[in-house]
Amino acid sequence: MNDDCAIRASNLTKVYGDLVAVDHIDIEVHTGEIFGFLGPNGSGKTTTVRMLTTLLEPTEGTALINGYDVCRQRYQVKQQFGLVPEESNVYTALSTWDNLMYTARLYCMPRGERERRACELLALFALEDKRDVKVQFLSKGMRRRLTVAMALIHRPPVLFLDEPLIGLDVHCAQLIKAQIRQLNAEGTTIFVTTHQIEVANQLCDQVAIMDLGRIAAVDRPERLKRAFQSVQSVEVALDGQETDQHEGLKALPGVTEVLKQGDKVRLYTADPSAVIEEVVGYARSQGLHVLSLNTLGPSLEDAFLAITGQPMAAAQARFHREACRECPMRDTCDRG
Amino acid sequence: MRGEDLLRRIGRELTQAWVILVQDARTYYLSTPMIMWGLLMPFFLFLPSLMQEEMTLQKAMPSLLAMITFLSASSTGPVILPLERRAGTYDRLLAAPVSLVTVLLGKSLVGVVFCLAVSVISVAVGLIFFDVHIARPGLLVAGVFMSSLAFSALGILFVSGSAQSPGRVMMPTMLLRWPLLFISGVFIPRDRMAPWLRALSYLSPLTYAQDVLTHAVLGSVRQVTEIIKPCGRVIEDYLLVMAGVHNPLLDLAILLCLVVLFFLPALRLHHRSQRLGY
Repeated sequence: MNDDCAIRASNLTKVYGDLVAVDHIDIEVHTGEIFGFLGPNGSGKTTTVRMLTTLLEPTEGTALINGYDVCRQRYQVKQQFGLVPEESNVYTALSTWDNLMYTARLYCMPRGERERRACELLALFALEDKRDVKVQFLSKGMRRRLTVAMALIHRPPVLFLDEPLIGLDVHCAQLIKAQIRQLNAEGTTIFVTTHQIEVANQLCDQVAIMDLGRIAAVDRPERLKRAFQSVQSVEVALDGQETDQHEGLKALPGVTEVLKQGDKVRLYTADPSAVIEEVVGYARSQGLHVLSLNTLGPSLEDAFLAITGQPMAAAQARFHREACRECPMRDTCDRG
Repeated sequence: MRGEDLLRRIGRELTQAWVILVQDARTYYLSTPMIMWGLLMPFFLFLPSLMQEEMTLQKAMPSLLAMITFLSASSTGPVILPLERRAGTYDRLLAAPVSLVTVLLGKSLVGVVFCLAVSVISVAVGLIFFDVHIARPGLLVAGVFMSSLAFSALGILFVSGSAQSPGRVMMPTMLLRWPLLFISGVFIPRDRMAPWLRALSYLSPLTYAQDVLTHAVLGSVRQVTEIIKPCGRVIEDYLLVMAGVHNPLLDLAILLCLVVLFFLPALRLHHRSQRLGY
């Protein structure tokens, strides 16, 4: 064990009836690190975050935040972190400023300090002109920025972000990513859950992949990506009279699998550059125009498949089936 | 924890309870469910009582105040907490360095302040426009405060499950609250009730609120012996033990006990909900 761990969980478990939501996981996040927690919906990411932030008691195991136990030293633990949940939990009836002030008061910050900090955060998250606007009139992206700002009001040494970029436009996502990097550069330890591998790739020093409550892999993003280089792909859109492009493309050397996606075709390969040349040659020989041609890195779906040996959709479906079996409303529910 | 640290912590928690109270007052006092359940309901229920022959606002004032404290205070928690759970803002409170006791205390005080405000307005209207006379103003303030605190704690107890909409809490709790209204002397004076119903009324928390508020507004002292005469021996013995309930100070003491009686299980159940992840 290292002493510079900001977050350390051992044997952390959460059981709901027969459903094991989080299954004896171990996590070590070093101080000043950005740690990514990747996995499909229902894999146990949010449950883990809720346990680490004292919102949920673990069934088994322990977790320490900056050395404080989440079960026995809840008060001290709560002073160590800021939390950005999956849904922006802001008071819609209050203004942006009042939301920040309320959070600061909950942390008993002195008046002068809380006002200075709030002004700083409004500037940081480009919300200065929305200071006196009620949150119900803000866009989803602005609310998200405000949620992050509220989590940072007391300058926490550890920040938990649960799917921070979900549903945001590119501009807003870039702004939040930039702030995450900036915070980290200033020394904040960041624990971020996401199902977007690219987010983890761009932000994280270390990544854990969750599968049905267990950690399937933990490593640096580049090392994880190296583990599934074979699932790189080339996406091509061809225009022409060819009726069965699918078979022709599948027969190209180096192509392991072909998947039709709308008006495009995705060709899986271990060697994208060779396949690009083959595709261009094929199009020329068939008299087809290449409308677009892109190389794609492995998606989380691909990573998940490579590491766990099963498609993510199947894992999610299995989770939902098990969750439904536990649900008290299963007899009246119309979700099937 | 050292004594100094403990005092600092208590001071901090009280400040946080006040912050929660102010925030909730700003956010929820004018919300539709709060106005519907906490304001309109007691006044509409009160109107038929006022229409009785020989009924004056002076006589009806204790019942009005009892209904305000009971319905408004016990509605505050069931309105606010499900809305907060649904919006995720309840998690924000739980993730802050605030104890669950402080969070629930803050939420209870929201109901107390709401009841005090509505009661002050009602009494002021009575004093100014209807020549209502308050016999013991100090006791009235104490009675409204203690009653609303007890009923706020009851509301917090009602909402200790996982409901995320006020309607899902309010509807089932009305099944409990309606009978309490009828057996507590709010609509029918207890001395006109059947003996068994009168005996039953002592099990209702509202009885003590109604009683202390009657003392405060009318200043009368009822004769317990008149009430217990028709009762059977066992019930009579029970009522003799409870005879002092007609002393307003004992009413206040019982209301204080009810605060503890409602708040402690509420705290335990909310903690259980948190453990189970509701």
